[in-house]
Amino acid sequence: MNVQVSSVGVGRFGKRAEGWLELAAEAATLALDGLGRKPIDLLVVGSMLTGAVNGLESTVPRLASRIGMESASGLRVEAASATGAAAFQAAVLAIESGRHERALVVAAEKMTDHPTADIARALASSLHPSEVAIGATMPGLAALVSQRYSGRYGLPTSVYDAVSVHMRRRAAQNPNAQFRTPVTPEEVAASRPVAMPLRLLHCGAISDGAVAVVIEKGAGPASVLGFGQGLDTMRIIDRVDSTSFAATRIAAKRAYEMACITRKEIEFVELHDAFAPFALIDLEDLGFCGPGEAGSWFTEGWVAPDGRLPVNPSGGILGRGHPVGASGLAEIAEVACQLRGEAGDRALPRLPRVGLAQSIGGLASHNFVTILGREAA
Amino acid sequence: MKADKLLQLQRCVSCQGLYLPGNGPCPRCGMREAVPVEIPPLGTVLAATELMNPASGWSSPHRLALVELTESVRLLGIVDGPLPVIGDTVGVRREGMLYRLSASPT
Repeated sequence: MNVQVSSVGVGRFGKRAEGWLELAAEAATLALDGLGRKPIDLLVVGSMLTGAVNGLESTVPRLASRIGMESASGLRVEAASATGAAAFQAAVLAIESGRHERALVVAAEKMTDHPTADIARALASSLHPSEVAIGATMPGLAALVSQRYSGRYGLPTSVYDAVSVHMRRRAAQNPNAQFRTPVTPEEVAASRPVAMPLRLLHCGAISDGAVAVVIEKGAGPASVLGFGQGLDTMRIIDRVDSTSFAATRIAAKRAYEMACITRKEIEFVELHDAFAPFALIDLEDLGFCGPGEAGSWFTEGWVAPDGRLPVNPSGGILGRGHPVGASGLAEIAEVACQLRGEAGDRALPRLPRVGLAQSIGGLASHNFVTILGREAA
Repeated sequence: MKADKLLQLQRCVSCQGLYLPGNGPCPRCGMREAVPVEIPPLGTVLAATELMNPASGWSSPHRLALVELTESVRLLGIVDGPLPVIGDTVGVRREGMLYRLSASPT
């Protein structure tokens, strides 16, 4: 593989006055400015809700004409909350094939101008209809997974509080994060119940936001070393194990094999914490620890920037915010920024050489793992 | 027998796996051919929660539970009555396309 991330553009996440197109164009412009205006021949757009919520389709020509890229080719990619990661991987394949030279990947979502109930309904469209029919929502199913996880391993829910505290502390260092104020374990534990054991501060927030990256042929500090994706059953009842996500395990295996590395060589990760307990399941599915062991990584501080495995230096979904279609690319963009020495105040103590981004699509039915690292030209 | 109406599952003719009927094929091997199997309508609670904001059409709080039937077949159902705890045995009743769960009358 000879493909690298050569530029990153991230806009501010949170409640934004701008619409979807303006947010996407802002991130695209930031990424293009960082590049010195080299020609781009492929535009890949990622969004989950533009049709269902914003009433916008034809997102590729819409954005291309806005940023003056009508001469490029383009495509749109969707994989629910992993959309941004799927868009990135599609662009890498296009460059790797030799058909395209340089791609701009833009993942954006506009959510805060709609009632929460409308957003919840749109997010539930990534679940199996038989589960929605009995009143289940994304947080509702996540709560069942979380309760099964803590029940199976005998964990107190204070472990989940520690995850939220970690993410908010990291987000305080990220100027583009939605939540820049740290929270205490007591504040997390006192936030209102959503679906027990999940409380408000255990759940990713509704956000607006956009991310863009440029990828091209060549080697550099943020080269694509490996990537993979995995699918799982739509009905959670059909899964053999409900305290682990098979789609992550498959995606990780494929990514590690492609990169010819093991998890021991991964120096930091950006993982998908749409719900606090998922961060624990993610660490286990990626192979960093055994089943039921990830809790102590957060309670003991091993995931801090100077710990044994820094986790989510960007603040993750719980701190950075969750514009669903953009989050997957935000995870990859953070890995690229850290590797490229562009992470500002949240830079890890030592410049890392290899990092991993993991994204969950829907209720873990379509997950992605991407490994970036330094490769000599 | 009316209160204890048996629950219908499907056994895949290929892998012999047991699964809850739906629109799709066998979740393990993808085979579409299956024969109906009836089991006692009882399950063990794996997880149960109360949704403060359920999907539209349902009022809050809305209780759901994930239960295990025979041979590790799982089912997601609506809880009638108080929220069960992990390990409880519950009665399972099919109502159209959905399942209702209630404290077992033991």
